[in-house]
Amino acid sequence: MKHLFFLIALVATPAMAQDFSEGSEAKTWNLYAEQPARFEAKVVDILCELTGDCPDNCGAGNRQLGLVRSADNVLVFPNKNAQAAFTGAVQELLPYCTQTVEVDGLLLEDEYLGAKNIYLVQRIRVLDSDEWVRANSWTKVWAENHPDAAGKGPWFRRDPRVLAEIASEGYFGLGLVQDEEIKDDLFE
Amino acid sequence: MKILSSALFACSVLSAAQASAAEGERISVKGEIIDTWCYFSGVMGGPDAVVGTAHHTCALWCSAGGIPVGLLAEDGTVYMVLKIEDSTDNASGDTQLRLASHVVEADGMFYERDGLNYLIVEEVVSDLDIQNLSHDSYGPVPPFAVPEADQ
Repeated sequence: MKHLFFLIALVATPAMAQDFSEGSEAKTWNLYAEQPARFEAKVVDILCELTGDCPDNCGAGNRQLGLVRSADNVLVFPNKNAQAAFTGAVQELLPYCTQTVEVDGLLLEDEYLGAKNIYLVQRIRVLDSDEWVRANSWTKVWAENHPDAAGKGPWFRRDPRVLAEIASEGYFGLGLVQDEEIKDDLFE
Repeated sequence: MKILSSALFACSVLSAAQASAAEGERISVKGEIIDTWCYFSGVMGGPDAVVGTAHHTCALWCSAGGIPVGLLAEDGTVYMVLKIEDSTDNASGDTQLRLASHVVEADGMFYERDGLNYLIVEEVVSDLDIQNLSHDSYGPVPPFAVPEADQ
């Protein structure tokens, strides 16, 4: 009977949190819950993975991409690329749609906030290559897609959709009249 | 052998139960459409500072930048939003951008996988616009979100 309980426990117990920091060269962001993590994983379209709704090419950059970790089949959610510019990870991972790659970055686990298997990807390597690719291409892709928004300053000050939202609803989102009142209160 | 057979049967039952936990469940939920990276990472401040009016402009930037949006429910649960009605553009999509910081009542399908919650919004039952006037406590987050704050 003791053997039975042992076998059941072995299968039934969810995988304990593992340490994937070995060999990682991830740069710290000094985040409360960060841990360096380097691992092999398959790049997947998360909506496809969960629901079976699977377009070609993982959604061509319009869908969030996940990493199904080879070691334990856990679905890791890369929220962020390596740029400090309010930019996600989709453009970085899209070239590797459905491929198994090695990634290096920061894993976030914060039980209080519900953060589990959240990832900041800093570099990516195809398995049969020695070359790592930095996960910092988002702003270049944005510039190529927005030639009319060329100019000085960071992309988020020039993005047409962001500018349209702010022009319509203000920086605080409550409408232009309230926006001016809030700014008067805060800054004058 | 009998013990082993029993164990394998028990394991198969448990595995089936675990697999079914990943299947969708229909839910109705009310909450704010948030920027998940700022919320989870704390990079811009604590969780109360990265929601509502204070963080609205940053939420626009992050949504446009392809950072996943979530729905922060009234009980504190965060759902990663993968679809809103007809829009599967869950990375930098127009619908997600338009709803940044808004409180919505949503009907849809809930999935759980490896400790994260996922939501397929089938219907935005009501869009209650921005409800959390967090700028009263925090001003703009980050401060440079509003150009006047830098002057």
